[in-house]
Amino acid sequence: MCFSLTCSTHHPINCIIPPYMLKVMALRGDEKTAQMARTLLKQTEKLREERAEHNSPTPPPAAERGVFVSRAVTEAGSLCCPERRIHDGEFKAALPGKLIRSEGDPATGDADADLAYDGAGEVFGLFAEEYGRNSLDGAGMPLVATVRHRRNYNNAFWDGTQMAYGTGDGKLFQTFLELSVIGHEMAHGVIQHSGGLIYENQSGALNESIADVFGSLALQRSLGQQVHEADWLVGRGILGPGINGVALRSMKAPGTAYSDDLLGQDPQPWHMDHFVTTTDDNGGVHINSGIPNHAFYLFCNYIGGKSWDLPGRVWYRALQNLNNPMATFADWADQTMDAVIELTGMGSIETQMLRRTWKLVGISI
Amino acid sequence: MIIEIAAEGGVGGTATSALHKRIDVDQQAEPIRQELCEAFEPEELARLAGSPRARGADRLTYRITVTDHQQKSQIFSIREDQLPPQMLDLIDQM
Repeated sequence: MCFSLTCSTHHPINCIIPPYMLKVMALRGDEKTAQMARTLLKQTEKLREERAEHNSPTPPPAAERGVFVSRAVTEAGSLCCPERRIHDGEFKAALPGKLIRSEGDPATGDADADLAYDGAGEVFGLFAEEYGRNSLDGAGMPLVATVRHRRNYNNAFWDGTQMAYGTGDGKLFQTFLELSVIGHEMAHGVIQHSGGLIYENQSGALNESIADVFGSLALQRSLGQQVHEADWLVGRGILGPGINGVALRSMKAPGTAYSDDLLGQDPQPWHMDHFVTTTDDNGGVHINSGIPNHAFYLFCNYIGGKSWDLPGRVWYRALQNLNNPMATFADWADQTMDAVIELTGMGSIETQMLRRTWKLVGISI
Repeated sequence: MIIEIAAEGGVGGTATSALHKRIDVDQQAEPIRQELCEAFEPEELARLAGSPRARGADRLTYRITVTDHQQKSQIFSIREDQLPPQMLDLIDQM
């Protein structure tokens, strides 16, 4: 491989590859390629500061789209069971920690471990039984999770290979082992293995929104809820007992999940008119996700029934066909329109409802 | 030397997802004092801030401010995955 780490010699590869492509390589490449891409990105950022250089991202041509569909739909015979591995972080930061429950083991009596195990099973079932996907990568990868990650840790995350859940500090948060949060983190894995969405600005907010959508679907499906029966909250019950709020986010009413002296005000908008431009939170990925979140909620309400049925299939199909890690909200809306047309036909009532949905949140297609 | 640590991001995307911490290193007992001095050496923090970021989502970003005896402050923005586990454990102990 002939990557050069400097442009001083005008190496053809280093100087030709634009930043957006390097970001895609950092996201999709194997470890070695990703590492080189990240190094080159850092140098490109320095150069860009000097030259104010900027390249517009270009989505791949239509003919190249849909490359993830073949991996996303597994033949029925090969799709069976999850391979769960739950570890105890023992309040330390090193991952994955001590293995405490493997696939097929009986319940441990350790509430955190059993919640992580059962939750992973529910989320696996959603993707497998509803969308024909065999685990996060579509190829049966083990579902590795660590509970009790770090001490008083107010967070849960996907690290690229596994999930990790803190216990919370008991004040701001009291747990992160709630099914919509578990589904959210696992959905980040699905997104990563579906071509990925770069974790900043609009593509990052889409990444967050899609994770919220499938987290919410996992919860609704496990409860057998119809659209109108669901609360559309992400992380219900995880806030500390003294916090004035009900959840991390509300897909039904973005911006209303909490309002508290310690936690602040839920900053999510539901319409493009209130899109937040910020450098915090990777460009507001957890903020502006409220817009596509609300679009999904509206679409489900127009359609009725079970949200993981047609609406979930539309979102899942759109994700598999997107193949644009720098997608904007408008790109995503277009992709969902393509998906609903493929599933229900041109001019169907569902197609009309989805178009109306996007218009209601300020995205015209 | 004063070390201040704030955090933002995480699955909640909030600025208060982790505790804001402030520690006067000179007031600490010797074993901890030495450990903190080494871990939060500005050159080391600068190196970590420039290290490659891993894949993933919902990670915290730490804003670490180190103020030396001449009251000169240096600020570093470092994502959680750029810090080694031992240093994260140290932050949790602070």
